[in-house]
Amino acid sequence: MANLNIDSAKERTYDAIVIGSGISGGWAAKELTDKGLKVIMLERGRDVKHIKDYPTTNMYPWEFKHKGQIPQDIQDANPVVSRCYAFREDAQHFFVKDQEHPYVQTKPFDWIRGYQVGGKSLLWARQTQRWSNFDFEGPARDGFAVDWPIRYKDIDPWYSHVEKFAGISGNKDGLAELPDGEFLPGFPLNAVEDYFSKHVKGHYKNRYVISARCAHLSKPNQIHIDQGRVQCQNRNLCQRGCPFGGYFSSNASTIPWALKSGNLTLRPYSVVESIIYDDKKGEATGVRIVDTNTKQTEEYYAKIIFVNAACLNTNLILLNSKSSRFPNGLGNDSGVLGKYVAFHNYSAHIGAEVEGFEEWATDGRNPAGGGYIPRFRNVFKQETDFLRGYACGLGAYRGYKHEGEGFGENFKAGLSSKEYGPWYVGSHMMGETIPKASNFVALDAAKKDAWGMPLLDISVDYDDNDQKMQKDYVEQLTEMFTSAGFKNIKAETNHQAPGLDIHEMGGVRMGNDPKTSMLNKWNQLHACKNVFVTDGSSMTSTSCQNPSLTYMALTARAVDNAVSELKKGNI
Amino acid sequence: MDRRSAIRNLAFVMGSAALLPYCTPGKPTAHFTHFDVNLDQQNLVADLAETIIPKTTSPGARDLELDKFVWLMVDDCAKKDEQEAFFKGLGEFNDLVKKSYNKNFSDCTKDEKATLLNTFEKKPSQKNLTPTDEKYSKELRGFYGTVHWLTVFGYTESKYFMTREIVWELVPGRYNAYFPVKNLKAAKNG
Ligand SMILES: Cc1cc2nc3c(=O)[nH]c(=O)nc-3n(C[C@H](O)[C@H](O)[C@H](O)COP(=O)(O)OP(=O)(O)OC[C@H]3O[C@@H](n4cnc5c(N)ncnc54)[C@H](O)[C@@H]3O)c2cc1C
Repeated sequence: MANLNIDSAKERTYDAIVIGSGISGGWAAKELTDKGLKVIMLERGRDVKHIKDYPTTNMYPWEFKHKGQIPQDIQDANPVVSRCYAFREDAQHFFVKDQEHPYVQTKPFDWIRGYQVGGKSLLWARQTQRWSNFDFEGPARDGFAVDWPIRYKDIDPWYSHVEKFAGISGNKDGLAELPDGEFLPGFPLNAVEDYFSKHVKGHYKNRYVISARCAHLSKPNQIHIDQGRVQCQNRNLCQRGCPFGGYFSSNASTIPWALKSGNLTLRPYSVVESIIYDDKKGEATGVRIVDTNTKQTEEYYAKIIFVNAACLNTNLILLNSKSSRFPNGLGNDSGVLGKYVAFHNYSAHIGAEVEGFEEWATDGRNPAGGGYIPRFRNVFKQETDFLRGYACGLGAYRGYKHEGEGFGENFKAGLSSKEYGPWYVGSHMMGETIPKASNFVALDAAKKDAWGMPLLDISVDYDDNDQKMQKDYVEQLTEMFTSAGFKNIKAETNHQAPGLDIHEMGGVRMGNDPKTSMLNKWNQLHACKNVFVTDGSSMTSTSCQNPSLTYMALTARAVDNAVSELKKGNI
Repeated sequence: MDRRSAIRNLAFVMGSAALLPYCTPGKPTAHFTHFDVNLDQQNLVADLAETIIPKTTSPGARDLELDKFVWLMVDDCAKKDEQEAFFKGLGEFNDLVKKSYNKNFSDCTKDEKATLLNTFEKKPSQKNLTPTDEKYSKELRGFYGTVHWLTVFGYTESKYFMTREIVWELVPGRYNAYFPVKNLKAAKNG
């Protein structure tokens, strides 16, 4: 009996454990297995195999029973996820339904999740920009949060490393606030976007409209072919999973790569309930999981553990990992675990009609979505009554001219008209928010989920800075659209809850000082050196660029350091 | 916002909660999850849909079973109060036809149907005017509006339309950001 236990414990022992298989977990698994470590990846959801498990990927619009719309009873039962633009008939199976995985909203928070192998990497909008030194120096310069323990130069080579493999399309724009990367050819701006780009450049200092940078194979290199991926076919049906592997997802890229090495064991249906801390050894020895099929608890052991459950679930796991050494959650000597959660402010958008440009339209589809305006507020110095700034999405489009009203023969024929209508232009804001102790997550004292884990209680809200920034976005974009000659400009603000931006960050932040932060500059818990956290929870501040490329780079960087420390015998 | 979300936002532009219980006179001939429908109601929606998208040299609403799609969507994708308003509006529509022509919609001539439907449509020249605002109840306008947009939505998303009228491509394989409009007759939709 004793032997059997030892054998089975041995069977459950690996060099490294990765918790979660989304964007950051996929990268952890790839980098660790590339370096020869034996890795087990524990994923709470089901397996989703590339191509095979994309049931809607080749469906035509008319093949969806409700032509894409989500039935009302599903919406009524799941109001949170129903607010996500991508929660539609073609991709609903990749989203967590509110009902299945409840949480507590002390303040309204739209927590959008994907529980399956690949996590949210299947669903994301693939916008990928590097962060700049203005971002990493931001908290120190502007006096909020704590200083980042790294600077742009520390992460620069790791951006290159992940970009080459993931495949990022974009142009070299030469902007200090949005550093260039290892780009595949960018997707071009259309006539109106191009016009606006030139207009803005001519009329504003330090404002630019560039082609949006995105994780699509506009022109694959050998490294992408080696992953089994081919050129993006401009389907723009990405959220269904791409049979071409045209965009980056863990399922198409990092996970099959890691599996091919023979060093990765993938275990779906495994909810990591906590990380096991050994008081005597003074380190983490493994993790405890609940198998969602059998409801049995099991333990897995490893020398190093990467926590990549996505921001808020990573907070939950650490908060739930209590020991006599860490009664308030693993590594939480400082008391900051769960605090300083921040997000992106997506609370305004603007649209307008465009006169002219009749001679141009577009043909095919642009997977990048159009243009991008990097942050232009408070970049080089503080110049407004709010801190930080916002980036803007920018897109112009034109469809066939259709009369919406009417009936009968002529009306019907008109619907088939291939005569183009006017151009429209639109933009939305993506604002940085300031992390605060009062924006936090905690364990609910009483309520538990189906696996006995406490429910997460979320208290995150907008503040005054966000309101001022929203106002500024509306003013600035209205002015820019007006000066460009756009007509019938309509700006709208919304009251969407935090979370719907799907860029929640923090709670396990990096910092130099163990008294005010959880992780050091290697994404390593200050107080438990063999545990690494490299998803959004580790972010000290939020920048206003999309965050996932930075999670990838931080992950690859942290693995490199962890493995070299492991080899040196330091962990 | 893409075209689809625009459509989604326009969904069910109908009256506010009319919490009156609706009744279905006559024998139910079709059972849905949230309501039963009788033959008159089925015929009305089918006739209305056919008036909006008539059979020409190409298939019309009946051929493409767009009325079935309208019912499916009202059943599955409308809120309870919207469903109630729909039936209330349907009843008022019948009353209106009776009052105007003293017969059922199905028995009306093409001209009579057109005259009636025109009272629901804004004239292109009067874009911002809604002449029927005072005349018709919210539910009545909502009923027509719902049947109209669901018929058009069902039509423009039908296999027929997307393969024969405007070729929707599953795999475009290209993005031309500057597509010259002179060639537009040959253009395919994005
Ligand atoms: C519609 C949409 C659009 C987006 N657009 C963009 C964009 O344009 N650009 C951008 O940068 N980002 C975008 N994002 C955000 C992006 O998807 C996330 O930042 C990214 O996926 C985070 O990676 P991750 O590894 O931290 O988490 P995920 O990719 O969410 O993966 C986490 C994984 O951990 C698993 N897990 C959770 N808890 C446990 C547990 N206890 N035990 C075991 N496994 C667990 C989950 O099931 C999941 O598979 C978008 C997201 C969505 C949904």
